[in-house]
Amino acid sequence: MLTLQTWIVHVLFIFFTTESVGELLEPCGYIKPESPVVQLGSNFTAVCVLKEKCMDYFHVNASYIFWKTNHLTVPKEQYTTINKTASSVTFTDTSSLNTQLTCNIRTFGQIDQNVYGIRIISGLPPEKPKNLSCIVNEGKKMMCQWDPGRETYLETNFTLKSEWATEKFADCKTKRDTPTSCTVDYSPVYFVNTEVWVEAENALGKVTSDHINFDPVDKVKPNPPHNLSVSNSEELSSILKLTWINSSIQDFIRLKYNIQYRTRDSSVWNQIPPEDTASTRSSFTVQDLKPFTEYVFRIRCMKEDGKGFWSDWSEEASGITYEDRPSKAPSFWYKIEPSHTHGYRSVQLIWKTLPPFEANGKILDYEVTLTRWKSRLQNYTVNETKWTVNITNDRYIATLTVRNLVGKSDAAVLTIPAYDFKATRPVRDLKAFPKDNMLWVEWTAPNESVNKYILEWCVLSDKSPCIPDWQQEDGLVHRTYLRGNLAESKCYLITVTPVFADGPGSPESIKAYLKQAPPSKGPTVRTKKVGKNEAVLEWDQLPVDVQNGFIRNYTIFYRTIIGNETAVNVDSSHTEYTLSSLTSDTLYMVRMAAYTDEGGKDGPEFTFTTPKFAQGEIEAIVVPVCLAFLLTTLLGVLFCFNKRDLIKKHIWPNVPDPSKSHIAQWSPHTPPRHNFNSKDQMYSDGNFTDVSVVEIEAANDKKPFPEDLKSLDLFKKEKISTEGHSSGIGGSSCMSSSRPSISSSDENESAQNTSGTVQYSTVVHSGYRHQVPSVQVFSRSESTQPLLDSEERPEDLQLVENTESSAGSFPRQQYFKQNCSQRDTSPDISHFERSKQVSSVNEEDFVRLKQQMSDISKPFEAGQMKMFQEISVADAFGPHTDGLVEGFETVGMEAAVDEGMPKSYLPQTVRRGGYMPQ
Amino acid sequence: MLPAAGEPAAGDSWGLLACLCTVLWHLPAVPALNRTGDPGPGPSIQKTYDLTRYLEHQLRSLAGTYLNYLGPPFNEPDFNPPRLGAETLPRATVNLDVWRSLNDKLRLTQNYEAYSHLLCYLRGLNRQAATAELRRSLAHFCTSLQGLLGSIAGVMAALGYPLPQPLPGTEPTWAPGPAHSDFLQKMDDFWLLKELQTWLWRSAKDFNRLKKKMQPPAAAVTLPLEAHGF
Repeated sequence: MLTLQTWIVHVLFIFFTTESVGELLEPCGYIKPESPVVQLGSNFTAVCVLKEKCMDYFHVNASYIFWKTNHLTVPKEQYTTINKTASSVTFTDTSSLNTQLTCNIRTFGQIDQNVYGIRIISGLPPEKPKNLSCIVNEGKKMMCQWDPGRETYLETNFTLKSEWATEKFADCKTKRDTPTSCTVDYSPVYFVNTEVWVEAENALGKVTSDHINFDPVDKVKPNPPHNLSVSNSEELSSILKLTWINSSIQDFIRLKYNIQYRTRDSSVWNQIPPEDTASTRSSFTVQDLKPFTEYVFRIRCMKEDGKGFWSDWSEEASGITYEDRPSKAPSFWYKIEPSHTHGYRSVQLIWKTLPPFEANGKILDYEVTLTRWKSRLQNYTVNETKWTVNITNDRYIATLTVRNLVGKSDAAVLTIPAYDFKATRPVRDLKAFPKDNMLWVEWTAPNESVNKYILEWCVLSDKSPCIPDWQQEDGLVHRTYLRGNLAESKCYLITVTPVFADGPGSPESIKAYLKQAPPSKGPTVRTKKVGKNEAVLEWDQLPVDVQNGFIRNYTIFYRTIIGNETAVNVDSSHTEYTLSSLTSDTLYMVRMAAYTDEGGKDGPEFTFTTPKFAQGEIEAIVVPVCLAFLLTTLLGVLFCFNKRDLIKKHIWPNVPDPSKSHIAQWSPHTPPRHNFNSKDQMYSDGNFTDVSVVEIEAANDKKPFPEDLKSLDLFKKEKISTEGHSSGIGGSSCMSSSRPSISSSDENESAQNTSGTVQYSTVVHSGYRHQVPSVQVFSRSESTQPLLDSEERPEDLQLVENTESSAGSFPRQQYFKQNCSQRDTSPDISHFERSKQVSSVNEEDFVRLKQQMSDISKPFEAGQMKMFQEISVADAFGPHTDGLVEGFETVGMEAAVDEGMPKSYLPQTVRRGGYMPQ
Repeated sequence: MLPAAGEPAAGDSWGLLACLCTVLWHLPAVPALNRTGDPGPGPSIQKTYDLTRYLEHQLRSLAGTYLNYLGPPFNEPDFNPPRLGAETLPRATVNLDVWRSLNDKLRLTQNYEAYSHLLCYLRGLNRQAATAELRRSLAHFCTSLQGLLGSIAGVMAALGYPLPQPLPGTEPTWAPGPAHSDFLQKMDDFWLLKELQTWLWRSAKDFNRLKKKMQPPAAAVTLPLEAHGF
C-alpha cells in the first residue's frame, strides 16, 4: 500500500518533469529516502540529488533547490546544501502523519520546476501487548486476546504464537476486524502445557508480549450441564431433587457447580452453598423449600479446582414441592345483618382464602363450628369463604379451620357477642398515612390484650355505596398497610376494630387518601346576598367524588371587568364568605378554587352586579318624601277646609240672582200661569249662570211603587200647600218652579231689580198639615235663614249641607235642566218627581211625620185620610182641586203653629254666611 | 545417528521410522517440558495421568468413528478377532506379577517406547484415512499422543532417567507386506486402535502407581480407585 502510493507519486513526478523539460524522459533528480516511515516526534532528513544533465540544461545547482511540504514552501533555514548537486532538508519533531514532500528548482525566469516528490508516513512503533489471556470453550478451539497498547497510526500486524516444549504450532494471524484476539486453528491438547505469546509488528518495529505458559485445561469453559430435571417427594414437602447430565468434559476433569433457584413469581435467585456442590455429580437435593410452591432451578459448572471459567447457565427447569397442611388459620370475621325473625340474628361469617404460601396446597373446604353458650357444638362444611347463619341473640363462639389434601389448619376462633353486648375499648391515636405507595394505618393498642385487629376500609363516594374490604392483623401489630388494590385520589374510610377474647371492641374510623390530587371540579360560588358595598358569597362543599383529597382551603378570586383580580383565602370549613369594600353599581366576576395538598381547581365564574343603592335606601328617601307630601297636602286640605268660607267668599261669592227674586210677588195666589213666561225670561235673561240647583233624581218615574204612590199623594198635597205658602223671597229653586211659573213678568222685573243686593232664603216647606215640615227635604233650602227643623235633626241638615256644599253643581244643573224641560210639558209632574225624590231620601222622616200627624190630628184622622186618598187620586190626574187643598193647608198651618215650631215658611237670616245658589 | 532420516520416500515404514526418530531426537533436547520451573515430578506425573485419561476419552470417540469408517464387522461391539499380523505392535498386556515387578524406570521406558511406536503407526493410519473429519480427529489424537510422549519424557527427565535410544536394529517397523489384503490392512488398523486403548489403560495404572509412590499423602485417596480399576 505504502509502496503503491509512493510509486504513484513517483510516476506523477516523472510525468510532470518530462512535460516541463520537454525532451527529458527521466526525472531531473531524486530524493532519498524514497519511501520513509518516520516515527512521530523524531527528526527526519531528506536529500535531493540533481542530475548533472539536468543541471546543465537548466543552468542550476543544488542551491537552487527549494522544498515544499503539502504545497507549502519549507523555510530556507531547514535546508542544507551538501554539495553542488545535493541539498538536504531536516524536519524536527515530525507531527504530521502523512506529508507530501517535494524537491523543486527555480530556473531562470523564476519558473519553478518540480524535481521529485515523496510521501512521508509517520506513526509509532507497536507497544508491547499486555494482558494476554486465553480461553478454551469446550469442544472448540482456543481463543486468546490481549491489550494492544497505544494507537500506532500504522498498519500493525499481531501474531499469536504458541508452542509446546517439543513442538511449535502454526501462527495465528489476527483478522483485520479483530486485531486484539485470535482463535488458533488446532484443537488444544489438555494436560500439556502450552506457551503462548503475541508479536506486534509494523513498519517502525516489532515487539513481543510476555510469554504465558498454561495447561489448556485450566482455561477451559465447559459446556453447561443439560437435561436438568426436577422431581418432588411425597414424604417431604420441603425438598426437590435435581438431576442433570454433565458435559463430556467430566470424563477427564472434575467439576464443581453452582445451583440457583427461585420461586416462580420471584426474580431473585437463591444460591445453594457452593461447598455443597464442589464436586462432580449429576444430582442434588434442595432442602428447606416451601410446600406446594413452584421453584425454578438452573445450574452451571466449572473445573473443580477453580481454574478456568464457569460454564453458561443451563436451561431452567421447574418443579413444585409436595403439599403440606395449611400452616396458618385464615383471617376470620363476621357481619351481623338484621333478621326479620324475632329473637334471631343473621350472622355472616367471612374469611379470607389463605395465600399459597400458607395454604400449602389446594384448599378443599372449610370447616366451621358454632357453639352457643353452654350448648352443643355444631359442625358445618363450607366451600366458599362466607357463610350466613341465623343465630339467637346469645353469645356464640365460632371456629374455622381450612383443609387441604394433607391436613387441617389450626382453628381461628371468633366470639360473636350477645345481642345486648356493648363494645368498648377502642384503639387510640388512630392514624392513616400514605408511604411508599401504600396506605399505612397506625394505632395505639387498648390497655387490654388484643387477640387480633380487624381493619375494614371502603371508598367513600356519593355515587356508589361503601363496599368494605377487610384484613386481619395479629394482636401484637399496631402498624400495617392496607393490602388491597387501592386507587389514588379516592377517599378511604378505614375502620380498626380490636378483637378481644370476649368479643370485638368498639371500632375507630379515619379517612385517608393513598395519594391526593387536585380536585377534579372547583366549587360553584354564588351570591347569597348582594349589597351596595358587599356581597355574601356562598357555596356548597365539594362532593367527595371530586375532592380527590382533603380540601385544605378555598381561594376566592373576584374582580371587576377592568380591575385586577383579588384573591381571598378561606378556611375549608366555611361555606360562606362576605366580600366587603365593593363598589356599588359594578359588575363583579367571582370564582373560587378549592385546594387539596396536591393543588387546586377553579370553579365556574359567577358574575353579579352590586346595586346602586343599598337595601332600604330608596325606601328611606321615598317614604319620608311621600309622607311629607301627604302631610303637606293634608295640611292644605285642612287649611282649606277650615277657611273654606273665606275662600269661598273670595273666590266664589254667592251672588243672588235678582231675576229669581220672588220677594216682589210673595203671594201664594199668583196663578202658575207664568210658567212659560218665566221660562222665557229665564232663557232670555241668560242670567242664571250662578244658579244653584238641587237635583233630585227623577229617573224612572213612570211606574211609581206603592210607597211612591203614597208619597205622590203626599206631595200632591205638598205642592198644593207650597203653592199656598212658599215664599218667593230670595228667588225660587227649581223645585219652586211653580213659583216662577206663577210670577208674572212684572214681578220678574222687580225681582231682577233686587237680585243684586238682597239675598233671600226661600223656606220651602211642605208638609202635610204643617206636621211634617221636616219632610221638606226638598232638596234644598233656598233660605238664607237657618233651617231650624234641620238643626233639630242633624241628619237632615247633613243631607242638606251635603247637597249644598259637596254635591257639586253638575247634578243641580242637570236637575235644573231636567226640571225645566219637564216644566215645559207638565209642571205638575215636576212636583211629583221632586217629592218622590224627597221621599226616597227621607222616608223615615216621612213615616215619623205621619206618626206625628196621626198623634196630633187624631180628630181629623178618618176624614183626612180619606180625603188624602181622594186627593192623591185626583192630583194624579190634574190640579183640579186647588180650593180644597188650600183648606187643608190652612189646617196644616195651624197644626204647625200649635206645635210651636215656626217652620220654614218664614224668611230667615242667612246662616253661616252661605247663600243658597239661585 | 539417524540413518533413516534422509530417506522419507521409502514407503510407509520409512516414514514412520522417520517421524519416530524425529520425535525421539527432539525430546532429549528439551531441558524440561514444564517451563514454569521444576516443582518435582509430582505434578508432571499427575498431569501425565490426566493426559492418559484424556487420551482414553479421545480414543473412545476416535475409535468409534474409525471403526465405523472401516465398516462391519470391525464396528460390531463383540467383534474380537485373533491378533494376526500385528506382531510388530508393542503389546500392552503383560502378566500382573511381571507388571508389579517393574521398576519405575523400566515402566516409564516401556511406556515411552510403546507410544513412540504407536504414534508412528497412527500417523501412517492418518495418511490412509479417507475423510477429512477422520483425518482431523486422527491428527488431533496424534498431537495429543505426542503431548503424552513429551509428558512421559518430562517425567523421566524429572526422575533423572535417560530417554531410551532407539537402536537401528530393534526399531519397530510397521511394514505391511505386499500380500496384505484390504481386510488384513483393516485388521491391522483395528488392532492398532485396540492396542492403543490397552496401552492407555495400562499407562493410567502405571502413572497412578507412580503418582501414589511420589505423593504418599494422596495414596489413601487414590488407592480405592485403583483397586476398582483392577
